[in-house]
Amino acid sequence: MQKIYKPISRRHFVAGALGSGAAVAAPAILTGAQAAGELKMATFYALSGPGSLFGPTQTAVTKLAVDEINAGGGIGGRKVTVIPSDGGAPPAEAAKAAIRLMLRDKVDIVVGSHDSAVREAIVAALKGRVPYVYTPLYEGGECNPNVFVTADTPQQQVQPSITWLAKTLGAKSYYLIGNDYVWPRKTNEQAKKYIAAAGGKVVGEEYVPLGAPNKFEDAVTRIKAKKPDLVVITLVGGDNINFNRTFAGFGLDKSIKRISYLLEEQTLAGIGDKSSNGLYSAMSYFENEKSEANAKFKAAYRKAAGAKAPPLAMIGVDTYGGVNCAKALIEKAGGTDAAKLMAAASNLNYRTPTGTGVMTNRHVVKDMYLAECKGTSFDIVETFKAVAHGQTCS
Amino acid sequence: MDPILTTNILNVVYEVSTLAVVVLGLAVVFGLLGVMNLAHGEFVMIGAYCAFFVQTQNLPFLAAVPVALLVCIVLGLAVERILVRPLYARPFDTLLATWGLSMLLREGVEAVYGRGFKSVAVPLTDSIDVLGADYPSYRLLLAAVSIALVAGLVWWFVRSATGRRIRAVVNNPELAGSVGIPVTALARNTFVFGCCLAALSGVLLAPLMPVQPMLGLDFILKSFFVLVVGGLGSLVGLISGSGVIGGVESIVSAFFDRTYGYTTVLIIAILFLWLRPNGLFPRT
Repeated sequence: MQKIYKPISRRHFVAGALGSGAAVAAPAILTGAQAAGELKMATFYALSGPGSLFGPTQTAVTKLAVDEINAGGGIGGRKVTVIPSDGGAPPAEAAKAAIRLMLRDKVDIVVGSHDSAVREAIVAALKGRVPYVYTPLYEGGECNPNVFVTADTPQQQVQPSITWLAKTLGAKSYYLIGNDYVWPRKTNEQAKKYIAAAGGKVVGEEYVPLGAPNKFEDAVTRIKAKKPDLVVITLVGGDNINFNRTFAGFGLDKSIKRISYLLEEQTLAGIGDKSSNGLYSAMSYFENEKSEANAKFKAAYRKAAGAKAPPLAMIGVDTYGGVNCAKALIEKAGGTDAAKLMAAASNLNYRTPTGTGVMTNRHVVKDMYLAECKGTSFDIVETFKAVAHGQTCS
Repeated sequence: MDPILTTNILNVVYEVSTLAVVVLGLAVVFGLLGVMNLAHGEFVMIGAYCAFFVQTQNLPFLAAVPVALLVCIVLGLAVERILVRPLYARPFDTLLATWGLSMLLREGVEAVYGRGFKSVAVPLTDSIDVLGADYPSYRLLLAAVSIALVAGLVWWFVRSATGRRIRAVVNNPELAGSVGIPVTALARNTFVFGCCLAALSGVLLAPLMPVQPMLGLDFILKSFFVLVVGGLGSLVGLISGSGVIGGVESIVSAFFDRTYGYTTVLIIAILFLWLRPNGLFPRT
């Protein structure tokens, strides 16, 4: 068998040591050249695992954002190159990839759209040495230094929508059902707060394991017995589809309204037009949003990604704002120095698919939409302007 | 009777019978051929995609049945000839080969239809009043069809000449061959039959689940639990295993919630592997 590894000889070792000595010394010499060089942006998108349904949209939307930025002269005069990594990998793998990207590839910034376990691993690996922009909707509370969150928070999703539904539908009793992990539980914490504030009552709350082949006949039967006015759903992906189909299958859609907090175009396609009657969703993006900015965004996307482009849905489209937030941050801070970026993040304006996001406390004040499902598309019934994110990062 | 209690009872019947029909094909192939087909879930998945395909062609739902059978007969024949036949009596190799096949099938379907969720419309959307409880008619029909399928198969296996030949082959392949039973053809047909049963259950269940390339994985684990409890290689074992696993899970879930349901099933499976590794009805 052929030997794959050669033992390192002393001469090679000395040469290597000299080489790395030169590399350490290099930045002092190259500063001028690097400023005009490329800007390396690492992305962590779901290329594998259950979230990989969103990967194609994340990648295509990021490509559009980066192409637009490069066509306009790049970020601070530097062309952007994207180095993709798998955000659907187990957290330990993602952390290793983050360290590799930081030390070997020397990336300037990281943009990620993935779950919170992976986010925590990446934050721990980067230790604030590389700026990190986190984009998908999440449970809130991420305040680590040099981390910038463009995600929807539970406060933004829940407060306006519950208040509106309680008033408009006259909902008094609520049933909460979600997957058993941090995002549904934190979101329901907020929900319970605003349900109480609106004078409503929670008549049931249950969680099913994440990633198990769940069935919902039993849950739907419990809901049928409790007869709530509104079911608050924090199930994700296949469970969200399965629950809503079972719910409508048992005929409960005729008398009980539902709101799901992770319901975008792809999940709604799975739920189907027969099961979406009386179902609402609240997020910061729907493809059907009618603003001029969104029309332009959609046209640019169709032109760039072609007829077979992956669908425009919230998880995926979030990366457009993320990449543009990275641009705005670096340009306002005049580089990627952590202290300067942190200062620049206060009242930072950046481009989103539907207009402009405003960053405060390293989260984003944004417009939120409440949409009612009509068949397999969303009909926006209310727009809530500049909703506070409820986060207190310094 | 209290309508909620009735609904809960119907839920249990529905869960047990649909579980039995999914495991049926797996049990037939394993019990009779000793082939643990890890791609069984993917045949269910292909059946579900056939239902979706038929819907995109604007054909009636039932047209999916012949389509799925045709696809799985062709696929099953090829798989049996290329993968399974050279590996008979090598159970571990078969396990690996069919695991590889399952990945290939998942990726293949993904290449055609993508990863997104597909939805198959429920053919019967109304509900039927059962003792004061409104229950979705498609679920009732599905439970009835599942029970009929399992019962029909048991009857056929016990009474028909082919059933007798299969039992002879299982008992002693050499002796069966020497009295003129076509062992190879019988084994091939049994394997293909198992694949067809999987595809058929996929078609029937498609309207009630999110159709996506990974859905087969959801079935394979619970199918194994059923075989662990029921015992390998007997139809009585299959039925009792489905009854225990499906029944316990849905009853516990109805009283508490799904998490308790899963925990109880896991505990039962562990107890069986530990104290009664051959299951309730081992092959004698």
